[in-house]
Amino acid sequence: MPDKENIYRLVPSTCVYCGTGCGVLLESMDGCLTGVLPQKDHPVSVGSLCIKGWSCHEFVHAPNRLTAPMIRRDGELVETDWETALEAVAEGIDRARGDGGPDAVGFFASARCTNEENYLLQKFARAVVATNNIDHCARL
Amino acid sequence: MSELAEIIKEKLRDGADAFLCLRDCEGTVIPALISAGDEIELDGVQVGSLRYPLEKILARLQERYPDKRFAVLARGCDERAMIELAKLEQLDLDRVVMVGVACSAGEAEACGCDRPYPGEIVLGERAEPAPSRGIIDEVESLTPSERLEWWKEQFSRCIKCYGCRNICPMCFCKECALEDPKLVEPGVIPPESPSFHVIRALDMAGRCIDCGLCEEACPAEIPLRSLYRKMREIMEESLGYRAGESVEEKNPLSFLGSEEDIEKLEQED
Amino acid sequence: MVENQAAKTAEDDVKILAFLCNWCSYAGADLAGVSRFQYPPNVLDVRVMCTGTISPYFVIKAFQEGIDGVLIAGCHIGDCHYLKGNYMTAKRFGVLREALKFMGLEEGRLRLEWVSAAEGEKYAEVIRSFTEEVKALGPSPLRKRRGVSREAVGS
Repeated sequence: MPDKENIYRLVPSTCVYCGTGCGVLLESMDGCLTGVLPQKDHPVSVGSLCIKGWSCHEFVHAPNRLTAPMIRRDGELVETDWETALEAVAEGIDRARGDGGPDAVGFFASARCTNEENYLLQKFARAVVATNNIDHCARL
Repeated sequence: MSELAEIIKEKLRDGADAFLCLRDCEGTVIPALISAGDEIELDGVQVGSLRYPLEKILARLQERYPDKRFAVLARGCDERAMIELAKLEQLDLDRVVMVGVACSAGEAEACGCDRPYPGEIVLGERAEPAPSRGIIDEVESLTPSERLEWWKEQFSRCIKCYGCRNICPMCFCKECALEDPKLVEPGVIPPESPSFHVIRALDMAGRCIDCGLCEEACPAEIPLRSLYRKMREIMEESLGYRAGESVEEKNPLSFLGSEEDIEKLEQED
Repeated sequence: MVENQAAKTAEDDVKILAFLCNWCSYAGADLAGVSRFQYPPNVLDVRVMCTGTISPYFVIKAFQEGIDGVLIAGCHIGDCHYLKGNYMTAKRFGVLREALKFMGLEEGRLRLEWVSAAEGEKYAEVIRSFTEEVKALGPSPLRKRRGVSREAVGS
């Protein structure tokens, strides 16, 4: 048997797809995320999930998932490293902010990120860039 | 060390490669796989009061590790599921060590279970069966058109989460009829009544082992357990078959049956 | 044309789907036609190789689409071209009928008959009696609003 830690494990977590916060058990087999079970005693979802919750593991190992930042060069998207990508973003935000003020910049957060990452993004938008232009794909 | 922890140690010593049980994990009791040498993990192991489809996990573990022996906690419903899965070639019982758990009288009552204990009880006391027909009597007192309306109202709450199928220990098909766009129109909520649920109910005929996980997982509180329990009754009345009761008896919907059965039908014709 | 003649009232305008096995019942239906036995024109035939190939899904789908009655006809028990196909059908049919009954669909809307290739007369008789039975039950409660336009037109 492989590393016994990795054979089979269920990890309690929270569904990332919307603000309801249903309890999921993420199932990993051989170190890969393979499935989801509802957490029976979760105070929010009490053992039920919707179709999104039941398939919230699928994007993790999806073959078309982006695993590295992409940057557009001469109309073509090419893979790049984080430093270059973040530099390009910072430059872009700076330029837009200089030309049209803070409200010329908008932020869009993803349900696939964690709560904490989303919190940080809105903090960045409001406190650093000074705009309220922030939204989320699963705003409820 | 708890009684269960002792049993797990013993089974792991006696040749099981891993033990599938329930364990306290950050305050919630969830399925966990304990391998030999995991003594530190034995602290939180317990039978648990909430049920998870352990046999479904087990079938996948067996598929992945064809040469390993797994031990597993088995309530009455788990045992029925494993027997039926074995008959459907999804599980090899020779590589399973069942540790029977009897449900308490309260659990049996809450489940309306007609066999709240496995064949061999290792943990717990055998409680009396508390069979319940759920909403079956209520539905059967209605006229056909009232029944149709009654079910339509129930099914109209369906959000098509597929939770009943996903949690079901007896559902293992790679291709599901409920995902066939010819039978079930994609993207339509609620699904067509009653076809969506009748398709599933028919697939449960001769398979449903009456564990009730479907109804527990349903966010819309559709009385699925009673529906499938009725399919169990139909199977018993028309073909004399109860899923999960014996390892030897073959499912009459999968197998032709004996010569006597065929002769009986010939005489009826 | 045929449909208009048959559809004098909504009750008369019933649609029946008949699954006929290739080796017996379809030939039986053919014989009924060749022998000029009269039977109502409310039937839509589907030829299948054996009644054993008829998935219960087909029947459910037919009812969900608004068919008023479903007939399954195959070889007599013991005469199946594939030896035991109809035996499986008989077992499956009992379960399907009970399930649909529990759902609230009248029992009379679903029928299983054994019709051999030589039984043209029996086929016509089965269609006659089944059509009568379904007409007595009226249009299926699951029927989609097929009749609305006709009533609106007033014909």
